[in-house]
Amino acid sequence: MRHPNGVFVMALSGLGGPEDLIALDRPKGHRIFAFPYLMFAPAFVLIASVSFIPLGYAIVQSFFRSPTLQLGRFVGLSNYGDFFLVRQGIETVQNSLIFVAGTVLIAVPFGFALAMIVNTPIPFRGLFRTILILPWLISNLVGALLWAWIGNPQYGLLPYLLQQIGITMPNIITNPAAAMVSVIVASVWASTPLVMVFVLAALQSVPSDLIEAARIDGASPWRRFRKITLPLVRNTTMMAVVLTSLHAFKSVEIILVMTGGGPNGATETMATKVFHEAFTLLRIGVGSAGAVMIFLLNLVFTLAFVRVLRTEHGA
Amino acid sequence: MTKRRKDSCRSLAAFAGRFATVLLLGFAVTFALGPIVWAILTSLKGPKEIALYPPTFLPQTLTFENYRSAVFYNETFLRYVFNTALIVVAATVICLVFSAHAAHAVARYKFRGSALLMFAMFSTIMIPGVAVVIPLYLLSVKTGIYDTILVLILVYSAWLTPTLIWLLRGFVNTIPIELEEAGRIDGYSRLAVFYRITLPLMWSGLLAGAVLIFANIWNEFLLGYSLVQSETARVVQVGIYANLTEVGVQWGRLTAAAVTATVPVLIIYTFLQKAFVQGLSGGAVKG
Repeated sequence: MRHPNGVFVMALSGLGGPEDLIALDRPKGHRIFAFPYLMFAPAFVLIASVSFIPLGYAIVQSFFRSPTLQLGRFVGLSNYGDFFLVRQGIETVQNSLIFVAGTVLIAVPFGFALAMIVNTPIPFRGLFRTILILPWLISNLVGALLWAWIGNPQYGLLPYLLQQIGITMPNIITNPAAAMVSVIVASVWASTPLVMVFVLAALQSVPSDLIEAARIDGASPWRRFRKITLPLVRNTTMMAVVLTSLHAFKSVEIILVMTGGGPNGATETMATKVFHEAFTLLRIGVGSAGAVMIFLLNLVFTLAFVRVLRTEHGA
Repeated sequence: MTKRRKDSCRSLAAFAGRFATVLLLGFAVTFALGPIVWAILTSLKGPKEIALYPPTFLPQTLTFENYRSAVFYNETFLRYVFNTALIVVAATVICLVFSAHAAHAVARYKFRGSALLMFAMFSTIMIPGVAVVIPLYLLSVKTGIYDTILVLILVYSAWLTPTLIWLLRGFVNTIPIELEEAGRIDGYSRLAVFYRITLPLMWSGLLAGAVLIFANIWNEFLLGYSLVQSETARVVQVGIYANLTEVGVQWGRLTAAAVTATVPVLIIYTFLQKAFVQGLSGGAVKG
């Protein structure tokens, strides 16, 4: 009866396994159950004060019309309506989807393929690994500035080079589709390295004797890949998909630097619209409403993803 | 006969595979290096040559003037580098200490609300940075830490702690629990078990975390730009951005600053590369 709470918790959650041994071996009243909370407390306090409180404030702000930094008049959901319905609001949702899907659908297969290559014993493997990770070590700001400059229709390097071989590059400043492609290219450039490193890390944990055994048994390379490697790196790859999407969905630097959301809103995503509403138009309430929507959509997306992963595991 | 055909077929497939590999690798290297090489070349040119069109590739007259004026003899930029280094070190220590404790707690103990706690932690990864700039500004003004290095240290540590908890939790899971149980039997307290047994085994996870923290903070721009105004507390990315002047972008100076700013991250990464990849696999695969 000295630690009734703990026994109750464990009975409820039906736990087993070695963790419980540690929890049980020395009954000292409630101290045992305070210990993990105390271990977590510093991290929790830090995150609460720097992330939860500002988020809560942004949520409150999204219900007020705030032309200055002070809270203004309560307006209910009208900021949310403003965000989506006024000035190409729906198009920003569409642009976000294109930008995120474009980034993920290119960066993940590309990073995966590169990880497969630099996991095989090729010459200068270490050098290749370092070169391919380089874009990750450069800030989004600098990456975006460099791409905008290289692709610049008037004095950029890329249009010039393409012209030399007889190709006219579409103008990335005035052509809406070309502008979208250019920001996706910069985003892929920045996101591929981390996908590669994640998959590489997972590939290195695949036991090589397993592959070897399958090879001796006569399994083709494709079969070895599908039946052994892929299932073992699947979770990590999915994790990379989630992290890349979350990042692309909320990032603003690349688009703001390269196109500023233009031409005529063609590359304005939800995240850059939040920036423009809050900092250019000083409609902080509308900006907060958009930000809350980005947060909620991210949350729903991640939860759905986790659920899909779980059910596939159960099957 | 059929065997030979099969063999030649297989060697053809192997050749095609190798060809595709070389092609893809060549493309990837060009793609990854292109902007970087261009930045390095530009940083070694004078302003007149940079403005030339069609552009020159190798610098016609090699000059280190950009590095001299924008970086090494530019006291404000050096100050920014120093500030950022200070922030990175402090935030890395805070972040690693806090998240190692928390990761041990969630990996080894089942406690009421742990799942909810983890979920709440991870949900902060999904908060868009632009959303919290204004609240953080107000909050930091109210607490009197606006426009100081301290505000950036706190914000960056809080931002990276959830990711680090996730990474390190996976890492703790790879350490056999029997070691900790043996420690308990030997009479260590719970805390002593963590410090003397678990923590020393976590070093490659901690190093991987340090690389992740370093690269993220060193390259952050948005918050460094909005939460700090005075030069004494400014960070390096804001210093690079300062080369976008009203009379146009000073590409030579900008690329010199950007190239220099990348060197510390590159050095750290090169030294810790192995631990980084290993540490990630501990967190990502088992987590």
